[in-house]
Parts: sequence; C-alpha cells; structure tokens
Amino acid sequence: MLFERHSQLSGGYTLVLCEKPDAARGVSDALSGGKYRSEQVDGTTVFRFGRKGEEFVVCAAQGHVYGVSDPSAERTVYPVFDIEWYPSNLIDESSASAGRRISAVRKLAAGASKFVNACDLDVEGETIGYNLLRYACGGKEKSALRASFSTLTGEDLQRAFDNLRPQMGWESARAGRTRHAMDFVWGVNLSRALSQSALDSGNRYRTVSVGRVQGPTLHFLVERELEIREFVPVPHWKVSGRFERDGVKLTAGYARETLETKALAERIEQECVGREAVVVAAHRSIITVVPPAPFNIGDLQKEAYRAFGYTPSRTIQIAEKLYLGALISYPRTGSQKLPPSINYRNIIRGLGRIPEYSTHSAEILKLEPKPVQGVKSDAAHPAIHPTGEKPRGHLEASESAVFDLVVRRFLAAFGPSARRELAEATLAVGEHKFRLSGGRTVSPGWMKYYGRYAGYKNVELPLVSEGDRFRVTGVAAEEKFEQRPPRYNQSSLLEKMEKEGIGTKATRADTIATLVGRGYASGESMEVTDIGLSVVETMAKYAPSIISTELTREIEDKLEAIENGSGGDAELLRDTVRTVAGQLVELSANEAAVGREIDSALTATVAKSFVLGKCPVCKTGDLRIVRSKTTKKRFVGCSNYSDGCRASAPLPQKGSVKTTSRPCECCSWPVVLVLGGRSPWRLCVNPGCPGKARP
Amino acid sequence: MKCCICGREAATDLCRYHTEAEEKVRNAYPLWVKAYGRIEWRDFLDNVKRNPQTGQWAKEIAEFLKGQ
Repeated sequence: MLFERHSQLSGGYTLVLCEKPDAARGVSDALSGGKYRSEQVDGTTVFRFGRKGEEFVVCAAQGHVYGVSDPSAERTVYPVFDIEWYPSNLIDESSASAGRRISAVRKLAAGASKFVNACDLDVEGETIGYNLLRYACGGKEKSALRASFSTLTGEDLQRAFDNLRPQMGWESARAGRTRHAMDFVWGVNLSRALSQSALDSGNRYRTVSVGRVQGPTLHFLVERELEIREFVPVPHWKVSGRFERDGVKLTAGYARETLETKALAERIEQECVGREAVVVAAHRSIITVVPPAPFNIGDLQKEAYRAFGYTPSRTIQIAEKLYLGALISYPRTGSQKLPPSINYRNIIRGLGRIPEYSTHSAEILKLEPKPVQGVKSDAAHPAIHPTGEKPRGHLEASESAVFDLVVRRFLAAFGPSARRELAEATLAVGEHKFRLSGGRTVSPGWMKYYGRYAGYKNVELPLVSEGDRFRVTGVAAEEKFEQRPPRYNQSSLLEKMEKEGIGTKATRADTIATLVGRGYASGESMEVTDIGLSVVETMAKYAPSIISTELTREIEDKLEAIENGSGGDAELLRDTVRTVAGQLVELSANEAAVGREIDSALTATVAKSFVLGKCPVCKTGDLRIVRSKTTKKRFVGCSNYSDGCRASAPLPQKGSVKTTSRPCECCSWPVVLVLGGRSPWRLCVNPGCPGKARP
Repeated sequence: MKCCICGREAATDLCRYHTEAEEKVRNAYPLWVKAYGRIEWRDFLDNVKRNPQTGQWAKEIAEFLKGQ
C-alpha cells in the first residue's frame, strides 16, 4: 500500500531485483551510503532510498523462487513431458517464503517505472531475474536493465549502477531455463520409473533418483568401487642401501624401484652388502616455480579440501557468505585471471590494513603489482579475489580459514617465482645402481605469501661429488604389495567431473551432495552402497544412455552453445524428450526385473546400516542395532544371539545413530556417531570400555 | 539362481561381481608364483584373504575357493 501511494505521487520508482536478501541489503547500503529505509511488504523486507534524484526500491528473491513442474502434481505418474514454470511454493510446501517474495515483487512492480536485474551475473542469476521479471513483474524482462558487478563493495556497485546495461543476458537466461526444464524431464521421469518399480516389487516406497549429471557421476564412483572390491594385490620388492663415508651417512633406493621377484631382491642384497659404492653421477640444479594461478571455484574447492578437509559444497557455502559480506569477489567463476580493472593496488592496500597481511602488502606495493594469470577465463567474472575490505564483524573459524586462503592465493599471484635447488646422485655397487634425491627452497618468492598452503618440503641432500667412495653398511629388501586404487573423495570426484566436462561450476558440488544424501555413497571416501551399485547396474543393463558420460558432455556443450547464442533450446529439449522416452520404454519393458534388483539392494543397504561391526565377544557374529519388541527401545545385540552370544550394550534413545568404520582404540568395540540435539558425538558402545573409566 | 556368496541374481553359482573377482584371483596366482618362486594354491588364498589391500569380493572369493 505504502509503495502504491508513493508511486502515484512520484511517477514510479526503480525496482531493483537481487538474488538474495543479504545482497539486497548490501546493494542498498552501498548505493545509499547507508541511508536506506527498510520496510515490510507481504512479510518480505525491502529497502528504499534516493540516489542522484532517483527513487530506488530493492527487493530480493531467495535463490530460485520459480521452478519447473508438471501440471498434474501426481508424484507417481510418468512419463511427464508437459511441463510449466510455477512459483516454488506451489511445487514444494516447504518453500512458503518463495510465495511471499513473489507476492512482494508483484506488489512493488505495480508501482515501478523502471526495472533492474541485479541478480548474480551468471546463468542461474539471469534465470532467477528473468523469471521474476516475466512472471511477477508482468512481462518486464524485455525492458529491464542489467546491473553487472563482481563484488558487493560500494565502489563496484556504484560503478555498476552508473553504467547499467540496456538489457539482461538473454542467452544465459535461455540456457538456464533450458537446463532446468531438461533436468526436470530427465530426473522426474527416471526417478519415478525406478521408485515405482521398487515399490511394485517390494511394497516399500523410497525415492530412487537418477539425474542427468548424477547418473554419470555415480557411474564414476561405481567403476572405481568395482576395481577396489575385486582388487588382488601382487607382491613386489623394494631395495634400499645405507652408505657411509667419514661420518656422512646416506640412504638411497635401488634405481629400479620395483622388483618383481623375491629372488632378484635377495640377489641384489647379497651382491651389494659389505662392498664399496662409487658416486657415478652427481647433479644439482636450480628450478624456478611460478606462483599458482588465481582461484576459480573448482580450484578453491580442491584447495580448501586439501588444506582444511572442507567438502566442495561447504566451501562454496562459505565463499558465498564471504561474497555477501563484500569480503571476496563472486565465487562461482571459472576464471583464473585477475584483470587490471579490479584495481590491484587498492585491494592490496586494503589488505595491508589487516595485521596478518600488512608486511606482505607493503612488500608487494613497493613494485608495480602484476599478477600471474591462469589459462581459464570466464566472460562474466574475474578469478576469486579479496575485495580489500576488512572483516567488519566476527568471522566463524571456517570463514576465517577460507578468507585467509583466498587472500594468500591472491597475494601469492603477485609474488616473484620461487627458486628450488634439486639434487640427485647415483651410486654404483658393481652393476647395481642406487639413486638418491633431495630438494630445498633457496628463494621462497610467492611461497612466503601463500604460507603454509604452499606445501613444498625441504629434503636436504649432503654434498657428494662424482668419484666419491662410500662403504655399503647395509642393504634391505622390503616386501611390498600393490596398493589398491584410492576411492574418490568429494574433492577428487569434483576434479573428475571437471575433467570429463559434466555438470557446471555452480552445480557440481550439489550433485555430489545429492549422491551422499540419497545414500548412494557414504563416508569421507565416498564408498558406494548397495543401492548406489544397483542403480548403476540397472541403468547399465536397461537404460545405458542415462549413465553415459558422452551424452551428458554433449548436452553440456549444447547448453553452452545456447548460452553463446549459437544453439537452439527447443531442439535440445526435443532431443531430451526423445532420449528419456526411449529409455523409459526399456525400463518399463523390464519393470519387474528392475524393481526386484532395486528392492533387493534397498533391503541390503538398510540391513547394513544397522550393522556396527564384528562382535568382539564371539568373534564371528555382527553387532547390530536392534529394537526390543517389548520396550521398543534400541540397543546393540549380536547376530549370534540364537547361538548363545550374549554381547549387548545400551544405546542413546534420542537422536539418530550412524555407524562408523573405526572401532574403539581402547576395546575394539564399534564406535557410533550420535546425531541430534547438540553437535554430533562419538560413542564406544561398550559399556565397560576402559576408555570411559574416570581418572 | 542366487550367488552362493552374496545372494545377488546370478546365472551360475556366482554373481557377475564374484565371477569377475574369481577371475582376478585366479589371474593373480601365476604372478605370486613368479614373485616368490613357489607358493601353494591354498597358501596363496590364505595370503590373499589376509592382505589388507585385497578387495572385499576378492577376499570372499579366496575364502570360497579355499572351501572347495
């Protein structure tokens, strides 16, 4: 009401649409110099202020407030090819706030004379802005202006609103809407087909989903899981020698690192021990190590995992928060480049006001700052960089950690190359050769700025020269076994997705989180569960296109073509419908078999989730979570109960209990993770565990 | 037919996964013989079963083959 009255008096205001409430507040604060008024419209906070004689009203969505769905709203019906965009609250009851936000925008639009899309400058942001302008503002998508910025700092925002683009990114919005429509058609049909087959077969409903990117990603995990579960190690030997001369002791490995037979290893041992070794080659060299490229989102996610163990989805959430706090630039970028337009000096000077970085900042500013640039670029945003703003309030530990990582990586980009000395030597004992190598940093360069994240170790190598003679004081042949391939963790899986070209920088972390959420993979090492295995096996048998990396990559390329203005959305949607329909025919022709396989995997997965580990009492049974038929309380019991094993233990009755792979270090009984209420806590289920005894 | 190790659907007495694991175990035996000069089949199976690097299905197959 207030805004309708105002618009009648003033002839309309400029309505600015932001993607998130924090961004709306940041934009208002920056453009008004802190002189804005916040008001409530339909339960949504909006901001009003004047700027250069113009009246502004800023309102925010909460991410996507419109989504794709089918008109039938019948959750079990498929195939579904007739789809529409709806307010998210009509699709999902838990999205009630979307309805309030749409209603607020609709009211505000009635009194606005000018519209500005100020959502994030990427495919998702264009899609959110487009949908609001089209559906809530009554077809204003064509006349709306676009504010383009990469940070929420006052300077950047003032510049963006002084130079509004005449129109929004049509192609990006078209690509975004096509992706949403296509992913809905893909996901809803196949997920319903699988869930319904399992329901018909086992009379139990559980969502068994398989999305367009999710399918091939799960396939990567399953391929690796099969390799691991079928793995048989083969023995080999490694030989190392110990050498001594005038008190100088060296240890060197045999030049051929892997010896296939025990006999050969033993022969080397016999032929070398007690003999003399001669240095036949000694070489030292200096190499230069250039600074690492500035962060794009994938690099930041991988580095945060390496440095702090944060999952990709956690890192992106933290980075998003730092962006909304105007501390770093927009994080969902593919760019590894820092253009001069971001004003290097200003940022570095700003960082100098933060005590931890003041020395580095002063050092860099002594010369003309010029950063190293990576190869990848992104037309919309530069690489992730700090804004130079000092954190105003308290940052949580995880936010401080990611902020520090971003700042140091940025500063490192301006550092000189580091210099490392590498040393190598070869010692000969008759026909046998041993090699040793070392390396040390002689000039840290950028490593000084990157600090503990640089990760180069110094392994000193004593000075040796050609012709030096050493006594062989010992030779050891060690039996080794081939290591099985490592499981993917969330970071290496993200890297694999990037390498294979599936998913987008904005969605890969969510895809991985969905695989965990659906129970297809568990634990830090992403171990595939029976149901994950079964979904891929079923797809491979009856609907192979669904887990095909090639098809998914091809679709990504077509989406990119739409975004670049050279591809057709209708054609891609038609192809999608054709592919999905074809696969549904196959699935429905084999519905009974599909249902049986999925249901039996569901049963196995559920059963395994109750098994805590081997029974330490009878040594043959499994300790499981059991619910008492009389008291209905849960406790731990042994699967050999009927054979006489009475191992049992109480469990907390509140919260959920998850199994862990590590047994108790004190008593080797299983340890469970108890979730709910407070922070998660680990509990050894053995009531008599010596580790629980009070000191 | 069900796999006699894990109960999965199977064309023979072993499912696809355990059949593949059996092939891997059998293929590894000559490599172990070459590595040690000599090793009995049953000792090989024992070692494979005990080795922490051995995959779950390969361990199950080693146990299964030992019982035959």
